[in-house]
Amino acid sequence: MRLSYLALVGAPLAAALAAALVRPYLRGVGAAGALLSTLSLVAALRLAGQVLAGATPTWGPSEMMRVDALSALLAVCVAFVAALAAWLGPGLGRDERYTPAQARRFRIFSSLFAFTMLIAVTANNVAIMWVAVEATTIASALLIPLHVSKASVEASWKYILIGSVGIALAFVGTVLGYFDYVHLAGERESALNWTSLMAAAPSMHPRVMALAFVFIVIGYGTKAGLAPMHTWLPDAHAEAPAPLSAMMSGVLLAVALYAIIRWKVVVDLTVGSTLPDRLLLVLGLASLAVAALSLIGQRQYKRLLAYSSIEHTGLMCVGLGLGPLGAFAALLHLVNHAVAKGMMFLLSGRILDRYHTTEMGEVSGLLRVMPVTGGLFAAGMLALAGLPPFGIFFSKLSLVRAGFATGHPWLMAFVLVLLLAAVIAMLAQINRMLYGAPPDGVRVGESNRWGLVPLALCAILLVAFGLGGFGAFQTLLDRAVAIVSR
Amino acid sequence: MARGALALLQGLLVLALAPGVVGLVRWLKARLQNRRGAPAWQPYFELRKLFGKEVVVSENASWLFRAAPYVVFVSTAAAALLVPVLAVPLPIDAVGDLLVVVYLLLLGTVFLALAGLDPGSAFGGMGSSREMTVAALAEPTVALAIFALALSAGSTNLGQIVARTMADPAAAVSPGYLLAFGALFVVTLAENGRLPVDNPATHLELTMIHEAMILEYSGRYLALIEWAAWLKVLLFFSLLGNLFVPWGVATVLTWAALGWALATLLAKLVVLAVALAVFETRVAKLRLFRVPELLAVSFVLAVLAITVSFLVR
Amino acid sequence: MDSAFGHLTVLGSSLVLLCGLTLLWRRGSAAHIGAFAAQSVALAATAGLIAVVTGSRELWVVAVILLGLKGILMPILLKRMDRRFGGPRELEPYVNTATSLVIGGLLVVLAYIVTWPILDVSRLPTRAGMPLAMGLIFVSLFVIISRKKALTQVIGFLALENGIALLAMLGTYGIPFIVEMGVFLDALMGFLVMQIVIYRIQETFESIDVEQLNRLSQ
Repeated sequence: MRLSYLALVGAPLAAALAAALVRPYLRGVGAAGALLSTLSLVAALRLAGQVLAGATPTWGPSEMMRVDALSALLAVCVAFVAALAAWLGPGLGRDERYTPAQARRFRIFSSLFAFTMLIAVTANNVAIMWVAVEATTIASALLIPLHVSKASVEASWKYILIGSVGIALAFVGTVLGYFDYVHLAGERESALNWTSLMAAAPSMHPRVMALAFVFIVIGYGTKAGLAPMHTWLPDAHAEAPAPLSAMMSGVLLAVALYAIIRWKVVVDLTVGSTLPDRLLLVLGLASLAVAALSLIGQRQYKRLLAYSSIEHTGLMCVGLGLGPLGAFAALLHLVNHAVAKGMMFLLSGRILDRYHTTEMGEVSGLLRVMPVTGGLFAAGMLALAGLPPFGIFFSKLSLVRAGFATGHPWLMAFVLVLLLAAVIAMLAQINRMLYGAPPDGVRVGESNRWGLVPLALCAILLVAFGLGGFGAFQTLLDRAVAIVSR
Repeated sequence: MARGALALLQGLLVLALAPGVVGLVRWLKARLQNRRGAPAWQPYFELRKLFGKEVVVSENASWLFRAAPYVVFVSTAAAALLVPVLAVPLPIDAVGDLLVVVYLLLLGTVFLALAGLDPGSAFGGMGSSREMTVAALAEPTVALAIFALALSAGSTNLGQIVARTMADPAAAVSPGYLLAFGALFVVTLAENGRLPVDNPATHLELTMIHEAMILEYSGRYLALIEWAAWLKVLLFFSLLGNLFVPWGVATVLTWAALGWALATLLAKLVVLAVALAVFETRVAKLRLFRVPELLAVSFVLAVLAITVSFLVR
Repeated sequence: MDSAFGHLTVLGSSLVLLCGLTLLWRRGSAAHIGAFAAQSVALAATAGLIAVVTGSRELWVVAVILLGLKGILMPILLKRMDRRFGGPRELEPYVNTATSLVIGGLLVVLAYIVTWPILDVSRLPTRAGMPLAMGLIFVSLFVIISRKKALTQVIGFLALENGIALLAMLGTYGIPFIVEMGVFLDALMGFLVMQIVIYRIQETFESIDVEQLNRLSQ
């Protein structure tokens, strides 16, 4: 048990240290980093297996770290996308796009980024979780301007300022929760453990916890990209290098949502689920509306993907506010989105390298220039749009069913209209990119074919999730939903 | 009977002390600026001189010009009677409390501003408009700052506020009191035309506010207005001293208590005069459009004082 | 004794809040850095006072670190940044000073309303200062959104952290030691990263006027 956990979090940390200590940068370090990320993924899968077998591994003094079904699910997602980024990121192959210094910086900070995210999802202590989420901001902010330009510097400033402010507000919520617990049960080392909070939840003061939850949602919601705190997201995700965007869009938003989920479970027990559900519904709908409206008329494909992330996070948020069935939809959506968005951003990186432009108007004939990339890109776009046989179709279906089940038919109608608008906007743009004649000066033919293998694997996974998934995955998902909707 | 005598005593006392306090401030400022300075009782000589001089009135002036000095003087003197100086309960507090004091001061301010406009001179109008800008922000702050104290005391009667603070010494260091003190101190500077709001010794067009309004006055009118201004300083000093550090104020009407009250009053006045002199020497005059910012600060301090006193039991 | 302790902590909290309001009042960077340094010292003093009365050694360490890190080290770094960038001494903020101050006062009143349920729950003698801490949090948020210089936004953020630390101190006499250390480390790292980003901004934009960061707008 312990070994798996150590491997899970130790591997990315070791990768970061290796990259930091070895000067000048050697490709071997990148390769070591990629292998370590795979080790981390394997460890995550093993932990998931242990959880499925009925254990709940804990680690650290006063059980600081704890892996239950929800943590295991997210840990696997994080490790998977981190592994993708490690294998396809700069510094591995012969790469003229990035200088060795840039590659080294990427290796250090992306590994640290993965490390902090893994700590966040496996922390039992909500304060450790907070520290880890704050650390993710710090680790990723320095990577956004990997290619220094006015746009990327502006994006990184907005990211770190707004992100830090949001995290600070989340800390206020954490302090308020701790305050309530302490006044109930007295100070103890394990006072900030989620398990202790859960046990004490029914007897805590509703108004204090409600206030705390508002701060938590606004705070972590800023990191998750919920409107109206989303203004940093399109800039940051669009300007960052592709592997970093993949990690940020794919799993960082999910980690922030995970933090909200953990607190929601506690607050539901204290306050009842009406207030938290309503709050999440409002914010989710706002994000959905903002994203749908902004997708129409989007001209750059990376920003398109970023707004799509806001849309999907909004959907997940709506799902969380719709009871157990909605929670199931949200978690299924979370996993599918992580894989799909990770794949899409990495593909967009390949497109950027070939076409040297982020404007969708200037990209054409993708299927002719890079057939496999184009095909995977199209598949990913269809997946994000929620078309069958991809998994997101089923999670959206479950969401709508959950909405009807909890008595929000008009709400679901509104959601469907917004989704339709988003889908049309995205698919129209993708068509223009895929077909037509390639512009002059663009080399035809795939480069770095081996890099396509992990991406194709992602596409296969998306289809597999849609067709019913693996039995083990289903069970894990069900257990996670059980935790969320106690 | 005793209360009537006390009222008379208080009235005479404030009238007599006011020029001395301002004279002391001027002398201290001179000394701090390395000058010899006129002695502290120079203002008495100024009053005597002005009362003996002829009055020169502009042709364009109306009855307002002649009436204003009296209105200003009487209203300020009346306000000074309603402020705790020597003893509580105040002799005529059946008639007035905090709000009456504020209104009386405002009456004086408005009449002075009108009198500045009346002769039609450029300086006068300019001074009046500047004065009203300052007064618009400063007057409510006076009320709010003392209101914060009134909330704790449960009444706007100034005598009761003093009595309550004497009964509960710990309240004197409560943040509500300290914030109110800060607000009131800034307002004292603004209302009395002290640095950094206004320079009482300047006659430069760019910088004067109070002096501009009274530029046309001479003789006994000027004497009355100057005396009223000094009374205002003493009034605010009494408020600052006796509301926030009320120990020494007499609660019984015996000669011993009154004597002790007089002694402590003089001590507080000296301390405040020193503080004011040091402060004025230290700061530079604010540019006119920055004055509202300073007054906004004092307003916010007063609001905070009320919030802190009200919402924390 | 208890009442005096309560009064003194509220006094300390008021000073901390007033320094935060000074950020809205004064305009130059030097004044802002001075206000932040004074605020951190007041905060450290309050922490020390609570440490003395409750006998908590952890709070002593917190007070010392607050003094050293936020009272001395960060103002020095901030002054160095200010000297390097210079820039216009006073940038007109989005909201003018008098209005900002009035809004600041209103935010403190709002903070009192918001923390009402907390005051009901807490039985500690220090609870009277909690609304002031929450007020500082709101005022700092307002500073961040209404000021144009990146340096001022960073100082606003640091003041926000001070407010949260004060809230934790007054509400629960501090948070568990490990967490406190993690928070400090995060704060320091965050500050250093912000420094680095501001250097980058200065390099690419040749000014730290946030209004110039407007290329990404769709």
